Amino acid sequence: MVDIDLSQAPFSLLDEAGKSRVTNGVDMAYFDTGEVILDAGQSGEYMYIIHKGEVAELDTTLPDARARIGHYTAGDVFGAISILNGKSRYRFKTEQETLCYLLPKVIFEQLCDAYPTFGDFFRESLANKARLLVERRASDGVSMAGFMLARVAECMRAPCLANEATTVAEAVAMLNDQHADSLLVQAVGQVGIVTKTDLLNALILQGHERASPVLGIAHFTLVTASPDDYLFQALVSMTRHDVARVVVMEGDQAIGVVELTDVLSYFSSRSYVVSLEVEQANDLEALARASARLPELVRALMSQGVKLNFAMDLLAALNGRIISKAFQFLVPSQQQSQSCFVVMGSEGRGEQILKTDQDNALILQDGVDWPTCGDDMQRLTETLYMLGYPPCPGNIMVSNPEWVNSESGWRRTISRWASRRDGDSLMNLAIMLDAHAVAGNGQLLDGIRQHLFDSCSHDEIFLSYFAKIALRFATPLTLFGTLKRPAHGIDIKKGGIFPIVHGVRTLALECRTAPTSTLARLDALAAQGRLEKEFAADLGEALSLFAELRLKQQLARLDGTGKTDSDPNLVVVQSLSSLERDLLREGLHIVKDFQQRLSHRFHLEY
Amino acid sequence: MIRSLRRVTDRRKQAHGRYGWLFNPYTGDELVAIDCETTGLDPKTAELVSIAAVRIKGDHVLTSDALDLRLQQPDSLSGDSIRIHRLRGVDLEEGESLQAALEKFLDFIGNRPLLGWCVDYDISVINRHLRPLLGFDLPNVSIDMAQVYQRELRRIRPHLEPHLGFESIAKALGVPVMGRHTALGDATTTALMYVRLNKGALEAG
Repeated sequence: MVDIDLSQAPFSLLDEAGKSRVTNGVDMAYFDTGEVILDAGQSGEYMYIIHKGEVAELDTTLPDARARIGHYTAGDVFGAISILNGKSRYRFKTEQETLCYLLPKVIFEQLCDAYPTFGDFFRESLANKARLLVERRASDGVSMAGFMLARVAECMRAPCLANEATTVAEAVAMLNDQHADSLLVQAVGQVGIVTKTDLLNALILQGHERASPVLGIAHFTLVTASPDDYLFQALVSMTRHDVARVVVMEGDQAIGVVELTDVLSYFSSRSYVVSLEVEQANDLEALARASARLPELVRALMSQGVKLNFAMDLLAALNGRIISKAFQFLVPSQQQSQSCFVVMGSEGRGEQILKTDQDNALILQDGVDWPTCGDDMQRLTETLYMLGYPPCPGNIMVSNPEWVNSESGWRRTISRWASRRDGDSLMNLAIMLDAHAVAGNGQLLDGIRQHLFDSCSHDEIFLSYFAKIALRFATPLTLFGTLKRPAHGIDIKKGGIFPIVHGVRTLALECRTAPTSTLARLDALAAQGRLEKEFAADLGEALSLFAELRLKQQLARLDGTGKTDSDPNLVVVQSLSSLERDLLREGLHIVKDFQQRLSHRFHLEY
Repeated sequence: MIRSLRRVTDRRKQAHGRYGWLFNPYTGDELVAIDCETTGLDPKTAELVSIAAVRIKGDHVLTSDALDLRLQQPDSLSGDSIRIHRLRGVDLEEGESLQAALEKFLDFIGNRPLLGWCVDYDISVINRHLRPLLGFDLPNVSIDMAQVYQRELRRIRPHLEPHLGFESIAKALGVPVMGRHTALGDATTTALMYVRLNKGALEAG
């Protein structure tokens, strides 16, 4: 006679028999307001499932104001960790009268043995919990979710191999026999590719003989993937390199080819269509049409449970292409190679999924002759606005002459910022640090970044000032108690995203890592040993979780269903499912931990 | 008066029988919430359809170890009562015989005090069946949840006219109503109400 909602995790990991063991095994208990259900150090005898009421998790070793580390409401589960660890680390105290179901230790342990995934749910770190969530979402998603989790190996076709002696005529015959679009040529120590287009051009335009060797027309710079990559990554590299196939390499052996048409047969969503449209656009209007389809694409990817970092990669690649096209339309071709257009801030990190604002700058080669530069840049900003990138409220745009400068000018500016160290300078440096070249001559940016590293990365005092910004907003963990009223929400950007992004940025500056995306920086930092691997992975997961929560609200706002007047950064905790709430809580714990590490590393405790 | 005389004679008769221990005074701290579904509302004619019992120990309602018995179809099972408890003749095919069910029930409750919603009705129906088979009435102390609530409310808020429906009391106490009109559901809900009331739900609210 028990009605527990067993459709949520962790119970959704049990089958019918397991669920009925839960229903038949639980007792019920009432606890009054302020009663301690399980004290720190007590041995865990039950796993508690809340039917009604609220329970706070308190760390008794901390002072009162910070002691509240968790909050559970109807449908939440607690006490399981206490069973696994033998005793409880924290005190669980009711905040309202609470009716709990009690699952005895014995049954809980039997369930953990019989259903390993159920037990793992309680043991795993945040990263793995998030994976469970994604996989579950993927499993009830449609065909594309399956595609997302598919590996390159599942979709590749065996290569059509030719050797050095194969002639053009033989190659054509082979392609026809095998209904392939391309063949691989194996020459001494390297692999080349010949496509149908190459053959056609060779025969008709360049006048090769039918008997000439195919080796002469092969390309040896290949876009490759490894068989364990996600199919999605292959698609991203096709988009990025503007090609229609990738070669699958294992070691230095070509073992297969993934053709675009193969991928599309797996995947009939819009991402390639959009990128195709971007590539084919030959005037601004067509580009604007393609650009307007991006939100639709984001929504499709999200509803199909694509992991956020892949979506970010794809979107960053597409945005980069759109901006670069616009740059090409507006800037005379001679100046294109003498200047570098960089995007900065979230766009530079490749973390802007929906277009929120444009942060950009222009670096000119020293001594360039470009009298109409100011007007051209004004037009470029307006064009980007037309393409759907709202102007930056801080006026960090190329239309502002402060953000257009020559190489030596930028060097001077950066040195000035670094010596000033006031709020605005630090902000500008942070923005500049995320700069990513999208159009023009990318080497100019590399030079500037080198200068930035040289002037800042060894300056401990500067780094302390820089890191301190990451501690400006406290994690909203202690606010949980006041969040009961639905009107409030927690600011996920200030409390979660910003501390991670900025903290990682600071560490990246210190270690002079070149990548600009936060996740890539985390990987680089972990590889250098600056952060532990697990901690870096957890930070990355936490960041994607926060970004995903925010994205959901932004999308709801685009649909017109969400409240348009509210800030999309505000997440109302009560409206989340218990698993999401659980993840959010753990994510914020990680942020707090990270802030503590930062303040320890950069001596910010005062 | 008559009841206590009867209990004395029952006790004498059963003193050396199998159920003699039931007549000892209870010393533990448990209660048993019971509920029966019957074929009618008149204790003189109603027959048992199902019996359920749940133990209460301190704050805990031990639903994992509850008794839920279905009996063989009584002759008087009719449409009117089926509409309430939703146990059809078919559902009772696997049911226990009356004697077996009552013996299990006695073993389960022992000499613990009985708690129920209008418990007198349930006890009198059970007694009517128990006496011909085993020769005694239930000797247990009984606590009627409806009366307990009424008394408590009158003590704390004398000016309030108590509203005495099962559902409305459950709501007033903040207890979820589970499986209304199944024996086990009603027994569990009554048990929760009792635990709740003992923890001073009315004072707080």
